Amino acid sequence: MSSHTDSSQTVDLAEGVNHQVAMVMDLNKCIGCQTCTIACKTNWTDSGGREYMYWNNVETKPGAGYPRDWEELGGGWDDEGEERTPGELPEQEDYGAPWDFNHEQIMYEGSDEPLRPMDDAADWAPNWDEDEGAGEYPNSYYFYLPRICNHCTHPSCVEACPRSALYKREEDGIVLVDQDRCRGYRYCVEGCPYKKVYYNAMKKKSEKCIFCYPRIEGEGPEGEVRGPACAEDCPPQLRMVGYLDDEQGPIHKLVNEYEVAVRLHPEFRTEPNVYYIPPFAPPKHTQDGESTDEERIPREYLEELFGPKVNDALDTINRERQRVRNGGESELMELLNSDRSEKYRLEVFDEA
Amino acid sequence: MQDTNHTDDRRDGSDGRKLTDTSRREFLKGLGVAAGGSFLQTDGLQVVDDPIGSYEYRDWEDLYREQWDWDSTARSTHSVNCTGSCSWEVYVRNGQIWREDQAADYPVFDEDSPNPNPRGCQKGACYSDYVNADQRVLHPLRRTGERGEGKWERISWDDALTEIAEEVIDAVQDEEYDAISAFTPIPAMSPVSYASGTRLTRLLGGVAHSFYDWYSDLPPGQPITWGTQTDNAESADWYHADYIIAWGSNINVTRIPDAKYFLDAAYNGTKRVGIFTDYSQTAIHCDDWLSPDAGSDPALALGMAQTIVSEELYDEAHLKEQTDMPLLVREDTGKFLRASEVDGLSVDADRSDHVFVMQDAEGNLRVAPGSLGMRDGQHDDSVSIELDFDPQLNVEESVSTTDGEVEVRSVWNNLRDELSNYTPETVGEITEVGSETYQEVAREFAQADRAKIIHGKGVNDWYHNDLGNRAIQLLVTLTGNLGRKGTGLDHYVGQEKIWTYEGWSKLNSPVPGRNVPTTLWTYYHCDVLDNADPETTQRVQEAIDNDWMPVYPEERADGSRPDPRLMFIWRGNYFNQAKGNVAVEEQLWPKLDLIVDINFRMDSSAMYSDIVLPTASHYEKHDLSMTDMHSYVHPFTPAVEPLGEAKTDWQIFRELAAKIQELAQQRDDVDPVPDREFDREIDLESVHDDYVRNWEDDEADALADDKAAAEYILEHSEETNPSNSDEQITFDDIDEQPQRVAAVGDHWTSDLVENEPYTPWQRYVQDKNPWPTFTGRQQYYIDHDWYLELGEELPTYKEPPTLQDRADYPLNYTTPHGRWSIHSTWRDSEKMLRLQRGEPVVHLNPDDMDDRGIEDGDTVRLYNDLGSIEVQAKRYPSGEPGTARMYFAWERFQFPDRGNFNSLVPLYMKPTQLIQYPEDTGEHLEFRPNYWGPTGVNSDVRVDVEPVADGSGDDSNGGSNE
Repeated sequence: MSSHTDSSQTVDLAEGVNHQVAMVMDLNKCIGCQTCTIACKTNWTDSGGREYMYWNNVETKPGAGYPRDWEELGGGWDDEGEERTPGELPEQEDYGAPWDFNHEQIMYEGSDEPLRPMDDAADWAPNWDEDEGAGEYPNSYYFYLPRICNHCTHPSCVEACPRSALYKREEDGIVLVDQDRCRGYRYCVEGCPYKKVYYNAMKKKSEKCIFCYPRIEGEGPEGEVRGPACAEDCPPQLRMVGYLDDEQGPIHKLVNEYEVAVRLHPEFRTEPNVYYIPPFAPPKHTQDGESTDEERIPREYLEELFGPKVNDALDTINRERQRVRNGGESELMELLNSDRSEKYRLEVFDEA
Repeated sequence: MQDTNHTDDRRDGSDGRKLTDTSRREFLKGLGVAAGGSFLQTDGLQVVDDPIGSYEYRDWEDLYREQWDWDSTARSTHSVNCTGSCSWEVYVRNGQIWREDQAADYPVFDEDSPNPNPRGCQKGACYSDYVNADQRVLHPLRRTGERGEGKWERISWDDALTEIAEEVIDAVQDEEYDAISAFTPIPAMSPVSYASGTRLTRLLGGVAHSFYDWYSDLPPGQPITWGTQTDNAESADWYHADYIIAWGSNINVTRIPDAKYFLDAAYNGTKRVGIFTDYSQTAIHCDDWLSPDAGSDPALALGMAQTIVSEELYDEAHLKEQTDMPLLVREDTGKFLRASEVDGLSVDADRSDHVFVMQDAEGNLRVAPGSLGMRDGQHDDSVSIELDFDPQLNVEESVSTTDGEVEVRSVWNNLRDELSNYTPETVGEITEVGSETYQEVAREFAQADRAKIIHGKGVNDWYHNDLGNRAIQLLVTLTGNLGRKGTGLDHYVGQEKIWTYEGWSKLNSPVPGRNVPTTLWTYYHCDVLDNADPETTQRVQEAIDNDWMPVYPEERADGSRPDPRLMFIWRGNYFNQAKGNVAVEEQLWPKLDLIVDINFRMDSSAMYSDIVLPTASHYEKHDLSMTDMHSYVHPFTPAVEPLGEAKTDWQIFRELAAKIQELAQQRDDVDPVPDREFDREIDLESVHDDYVRNWEDDEADALADDKAAAEYILEHSEETNPSNSDEQITFDDIDEQPQRVAAVGDHWTSDLVENEPYTPWQRYVQDKNPWPTFTGRQQYYIDHDWYLELGEELPTYKEPPTLQDRADYPLNYTTPHGRWSIHSTWRDSEKMLRLQRGEPVVHLNPDDMDDRGIEDGDTVRLYNDLGSIEVQAKRYPSGEPGTARMYFAWERFQFPDRGNFNSLVPLYMKPTQLIQYPEDTGEHLEFRPNYWGPTGVNSDVRVDVEPVADGSGDDSNGGSNE
């Protein structure tokens, strides 16, 4: 497969990058369980000043997200994709503090306090508005949005760093913060419109999702290639991991052929390489408790999140679902239920 | 190490960019901490031409590669009764547990359903935190303060075991061995640990407690209608259904490892309907959502049944062969017409009064094959229910009987009468579900080839759960959706299914022993009989007097009854999870002289105990794991040695047995005590030898450790050591990879088909064995006197009762299973709490909040006539107005006044679940632990909520004061 290069007709890769890792997340399978969040945390962010970080987080939408109101903090590029748009640095409290608790005092030292975050610090947290959403009963709506670094094709964080401490790897397009070179200026944090770079105050450096490169490289004592922990550990297996330019893989088909996998906030113009299958939901109810034909999640809201392409994506999915329900066959539906071996196509470009 | 105050660091400079003073301080907080990593040389920064693609300075990348490293791994799982039974790979680094990953190596057996891997959830993914946590119990502890105060002294194992052994010996010597209680739930989640204490309890003549009924996990409608505790399809079967109703089963929250079979079905042509009072986490991924008023589900189900019956969408052949619908019922007594009562009906059976009657197409009365009177007990596969005539459903006749002419009607006609009450108008009014919508769902359900209901705790917590169960079950029966792939009513609450039942049972009970229905035991010893309503009191008393249900300690010859005296709790959190929490603390707890909790963590039961013994965590022992969600068996193995002074459960109870034996031998006054109830002697001088002896092979010292006990279970079970094969599944096999069970014993309702998920009831539906009920059929009509008196002979809808006044307490209070804990485990986990709000919350509809001046994040008081608790209010627009929803199992020590989510829940018991049926012999329904017994009632509780006035202390909405 080594003959496969970056010059595909349909796939735009960043110049100088041979292959681009990508992920498709199916929001119709996300149940908000946060196993991805914990899998990531126990791999990478459990200590050393990273405790407050969630390189992978899952947020309820509509909702403020993590860090709070990140969608309103700017960053990314202008409409032409040429000039960076100013971005703000989130306040520390918008991330929430990694609370410590008083277990020992209560359980072993006879304290009559309740078990609580110490320092009475609890008024916001990464998942504070879980399940809240919008609308009114019985026509409320919400869904879950898992997020990692998008390892963008046109990454504004990389451009933002005056020390060029962020870079995009040639072999797979993973975006990294060079931990030797970084000085913790946080221009990258400002510049990323998804707020997926985090400042480590203990190390005075910024850090971010590394797409589990040690796992996909087959590092580790067993030398086994594994997908990113967030994907491999996901109980409903809602993520597909592979290369955008692997034209035989499900990601390419979902993104480029069927166009049912769409980007989050495409207007930020960073060209994310994480794509989402948009959510459908049961229809609205009338006051008499009858189900209607009216969609529960307003299309305007979905357009706000995923851009206008979300409409065709949802229409295609609905059409193909109906086809299967009527007894027909659908390659798209089968793709969305890809077998586990097809979900992780990480070795297709390995040199023989 | 010195900090480099580099001039480039603009945050230390004065450029005055966007940082506010506050956030700057927050950011700078960490800067004083010595950084552990190496800093790049501060001079000579090398030039990067293009950071996209051609970045050159990549040696640093080893930093993260070095973190992806470990020394060894071990296979284990978690023993928490979540039904997951997920196999995990536990990573050890530098002699300590580092983390865990799903093992994800279950062998695929069904190529048509989604891959079974991985199984796990966010909680399992951080169990490792418990191993080294602050809450870990590391040494034997003896209470020095009041129960619950959290004041302890560390004592030696010898002191602890001696103190407990003395108390045990005294109780046995006083012939109060039935005052020794042992509470531990759910063998399937770790059968060796379960059996460890129960085996000793049996040898001591003590009492083992039920749990499945107590936790209201048991669906009483299943033993009532199907004669079986519960039997379910494994979750892979969901994918084969064309139509699924998730009825009060919040799959996406409570069955996280299995949810994929439901979610993937969306792309496989399956229609999925959710029935939830709130727009739940599962409703969001359904194709339609029905939102009945809380507790009105039976009316909705009966309305759907009425649609199916009136539009003739039912499966007539199934009803005639498989159900009691053609059986005749006497109009005068409401009892089934018995063959013995009919003039001239010849019956080839020993007990013709236990034989039922149908009418054939010619109008002749016929004996119903498979009736109990024709069988040798509840289960008798030598008899068939297959018909050689065509029984009529619609029968109204006058029959000549030993009592003269009596009018009889078929159960079918009685049912049709009952269903006629559930018109679309009435059902719409009761449930507030749109009449068109529910009728359409009923039609679609009936017309689907393979339709299934996934049934859960949301509809099992009510007082009238038996009626609700029976009404919902009726839908799969009417439509013939039983005993086939992709069909059925799957009730998943509690890991009740232990595939290796026989082996566990032999390990657990080397001698016959006492079991008690925990709901009744708790109710009785909390003195509820002294203050419950007269009718309930009278029926409970009658059930006890009739010996339908046991209570221990049993009544003595002189009419007295001792109090319970000694309680062992392990693998569960009885005290925290007890309904009637206030009564348990005030009435029951003081009766117990010694409470011993065996635990890896300090939970509420441990906190309120007298002695706490440190047990091995889930990553420090050998055991087995099984569930009804799948058909694999896989192990616990130790990744590390037990931390501190912890020992495995097996070792703890073995050493306690040894201490009892040692002290009994030393004391002059100890002789074998004849058991009051069983034909055996309680011999304390040999109790350890008996504990470690393999009773099957009479081999001494064979069961010294937990691995040997696990091997014993595998060896003595049909599922892992099939009688028709030389192949055996050994412990080493399952350590290598989880194994699908090799066969299925007689105690399940289907055989195992290769390459297909297990689906229950095939032995009745396909093989035509009699159902294990009185009538030998799915039995919707129960002619027990109490059911007739209460008007519950058929499924019906009754207004939910409540002990609280609706005017004073306008909100329903529900305590569903949530996503962030498995019961109380992980409730106190730092990682989990950081992804919530750090403290207990109540979910409220915004209208109810506005009415009371409550805002999101406010501290509120939730109260009723039983108690009051302080929690945080959370805005939940998807919650139905009029409900205070509190995901359950917060620990007592998480509330300011040590109240508890159960402080607002009374001890409540429905007498219909105390019966024996038939009344004289009980083959269909008689007390059997976790199988038939009264369920605890969690719902049908009312509360109100109010803001806690400012200045009361806990200001959790206080914003960020500087």
